[in-house]
Amino acid sequence: MIASAFSQWSNQPRRYLYIAALSVVTMSGSVTPAHADVFDTVQAHGFLSQALIISRHNDFFGPSSRDAGSLEYTEIGANVSMRPTNNLLVSAQVLSRRAGDDNSSYEPRLDYGLLDYQLFANDSRVSGIQVGRIKHPFGIYNQTRDIAFTRPSILLPQSIYFDRTRSFGLASDGVLFYNEERLRNGIVYFAIEGGKPNLNGDAESALSLPSNDLSVSMNGRFSTLAQIRYEHDGGRMVFAFSAADVNANFNSGVDEVGDGKFKFQPIALSAQYNSADWSLTAEYALRKRKISGLDIADLNQSVIGDSWYLQYDRRLFADWRWLVRYDVMANDWHDRSGKQYENDNRGPAHSRFARDLTLGLKWQPRPSLLLSAEYHNIDGTGWIPPSDNKSEDLERHWDMLMFQASFLF
Amino acid sequence: MPRGMKVLVSIVMLLLWGGQAAHAHESVVLIANPSANPGNMTRETVRAIFAMRQRTLPNGEAAHVFVLPDKHPLHERFTKEILGVYPHQLRLSWDRLVFSGTGQAPNEVGSIEEMRQRVASTPGGLGYLEKGAVDDSVSVFAVE
Repeated sequence: MIASAFSQWSNQPRRYLYIAALSVVTMSGSVTPAHADVFDTVQAHGFLSQALIISRHNDFFGPSSRDAGSLEYTEIGANVSMRPTNNLLVSAQVLSRRAGDDNSSYEPRLDYGLLDYQLFANDSRVSGIQVGRIKHPFGIYNQTRDIAFTRPSILLPQSIYFDRTRSFGLASDGVLFYNEERLRNGIVYFAIEGGKPNLNGDAESALSLPSNDLSVSMNGRFSTLAQIRYEHDGGRMVFAFSAADVNANFNSGVDEVGDGKFKFQPIALSAQYNSADWSLTAEYALRKRKISGLDIADLNQSVIGDSWYLQYDRRLFADWRWLVRYDVMANDWHDRSGKQYENDNRGPAHSRFARDLTLGLKWQPRPSLLLSAEYHNIDGTGWIPPSDNKSEDLERHWDMLMFQASFLF
Repeated sequence: MPRGMKVLVSIVMLLLWGGQAAHAHESVVLIANPSANPGNMTRETVRAIFAMRQRTLPNGEAAHVFVLPDKHPLHERFTKEILGVYPHQLRLSWDRLVFSGTGQAPNEVGSIEEMRQRVASTPGGLGYLEKGAVDDSVSVFAVE
């Protein structure tokens, strides 16, 4: 199955991208003066996760409320990296992901592909520059959001790490500068990035609302992102502030509506405490979304929504952890209940918010094997991907049970 | 002595004894390939190198980090006593680097003897041993 997933080379431009990425990896080895140990630095890693989702009332990631549930949540990835010189790291990862969408061929994408050059590294600081396709350092979990082992639960808190519109925050083709400053018992990390975001179909379908007959197409324009993070005492306490300004051209595909611009400006505050046996995590995000320049004035709109969650996870026995989380989002902070939205005949009120209570259990007998189960009790449909349900079928109160097996090397 | 007091005293004695037994271990030391001049590093630098965020040693040489498996008692003692973190936290930070393309995983060795041999034979090699197990094939770094 994995082999067939990776043999799908249906898309020509992507194929060239992979070949280019592979050539970079190979060439940077051959250009460097022949150190005997350069090829000793080559590493390959990968991961595979398969979930079973069983839900009541609404579908999530496939037909989860029907029959025996949905198996349409699969993540398969592989990466290769090497250090051609002392200061240089070259890495690339291919990801094949299906999350109830129409990616039934598991078509792989270049997840990241970058050169990371460390300009300085001494006792007080490390600073460097990354060039290529870079995963966004946003919040605590974004950079490795598709790897089950680095998530606290099967699903990340959807109020901040939307799977519905994940490509707005995922990765950009551009340049990132980072600096890590060492203090007596902690570090201050700063990163700033500029580039063109990789927007996918998820962004387009999410923005096709309210009138579904619009066949929207979007492409990324120059966008920026920054994060500052303080880690105290080897990561016992972590505080972070992240901000992004994501821009795209918005082509409605309808003559009367015309073309416009889309702007997404999220900021997030993150805090985490890690002890030997438990972690407490909280994040708050404020999200501003703006569409402008369209010929129909009603469609030009600016909305501010906010999100937060509080999460406690604890070691149970040596290899077991359990988790409880409460996760809240509002699409519009002037209309948290969605009533105004419903009164304006734009859609159901419950599509404008979501409150998710999650209980989770994980067993990791080895660093390479993880089995997880979790239960979500949800009020609201604010973060359900539009492809999973017809909007008139959605019910306000719903719940789901998820199981996931993950393997990593 | 009342019975409750006896129980309490016994528990305290047991705890003290247990504590002493824990300290009866020899201390863990940071070792390096002799190509690196022995010296000292700050704890934050050692953390950064073992967390794989810094790729070079203070002398500019490429660092090659060697670790024992997560559950090995010496690995647990090294991460707690020298780095001040827990093995599962270190594993999580490696996974985050490896799968975001911003770092590599350390080299895992299967035994203490292999640790000594690999550090001794790899220029830029860095690892750890119990103090009594150190010989001339590796040099010792002090952690400030």
